[in-house]
Amino acid sequence: MDEFREMAAREREAKRIARRQWFWLHFAVYATTQAFLIIIWALSSATYPWYIFPLFGWGILIAAHAVFAFVVKTPEEIMIEREAHESSNPR
Amino acid sequence: MTWLLEAYTDRRTYGALGYLLVGLPLGIFGFVVVVTGLSLGFGLLVTLIGIPILVLTLLFVRGLAGLHRQIAWSMLQAPIPRRPDRRVRAQGMFWQRLRELITSPQTWRELAFALASLPLGVIGFSFAVTLIALMFSGFAQPIITAAGVETQIGTWTIDTLQESLVYLPLSLLFLLVGPRILFGLGAVAGRVTVWFLGRIGLNDLKVGVVQALAKDGELDGFAILDQLQLRFGADAHLSPTRVQAALLALESNGQVGVRTGATGRLYRLGEQT
Repeated sequence: MDEFREMAAREREAKRIARRQWFWLHFAVYATTQAFLIIIWALSSATYPWYIFPLFGWGILIAAHAVFAFVVKTPEEIMIEREAHESSNPR
Repeated sequence: MTWLLEAYTDRRTYGALGYLLVGLPLGIFGFVVVVTGLSLGFGLLVTLIGIPILVLTLLFVRGLAGLHRQIAWSMLQAPIPRRPDRRVRAQGMFWQRLRELITSPQTWRELAFALASLPLGVIGFSFAVTLIALMFSGFAQPIITAAGVETQIGTWTIDTLQESLVYLPLSLLFLLVGPRILFGLGAVAGRVTVWFLGRIGLNDLKVGVVQALAKDGELDGFAILDQLQLRFGADAHLSPTRVQAALLALESNGQVGVRTGATGRLYRLGEQT
């Protein structure tokens, strides 16, 4: 394989790993904060479940981050993968 | 401790402070002009006068983005790429240039930055002014008290010299950590600016690749990457993946030919070999 393409492939893999690590870090902060808020709610009067607002509000951001970390690809990545697929399966 | 104090001798700290302070007036100016231009342009679209107003607004956005790039580069030393040669970008007739302006993703990213620069400017300015206030209020308070001005903290009135020293420990702490925080804020602001304005479009990359090959004949991927870094500046979103994508696009439309050499693929202008 071409050395430059190998370097590009390693770079994409490193970025993919970094994106996922950032997501798990974000998720850990989210889970800890939400657990803390739920404990405060349970230890206080525990009447109106106000903790659902940050749970769902921040939850939307977590979902968006998960899509970015696990699903979304840059146009360049899509181009390169399509080319690799076409060269391994010539018409 | 040395790490904290080194920020005082680093000119980037003062650059960051300047950038955060300038960000607010620039953000207000950009936001007001862009929102007014877009509202007026879309509002007058049915009379056709709206079209030149919208085009002028986009041209203003491009100019403002250029100014932001200059400021971020000079004050924060942010890795903003050098824009491609104006002669290459401004090729063609008026309609072609207009089409390039409207269809370029860079224009829309610059528009988004012009709108985002107001809230970003407010946040940056508030942080900078608060930090400066925290750093110096402890020293200013005894002078204010000596001048006979009373200060209220809740129900407590500061009216004696001893009481006026209450802010001093806080100010000493912030004199120690403040410059380093400013430095960090500048780095964050620089990253945001680079994210919006520091991208080189795939078309610009392709132009760069073609010019490198026209100059040097046959090159491998590493040499092309080096040439592009010389052209646009290092670390300006110039990754091997993006260069590979630009080469693939040029290969697929026949602008670049490729042959396999001893070290890997070698690229040159012209037909596929």
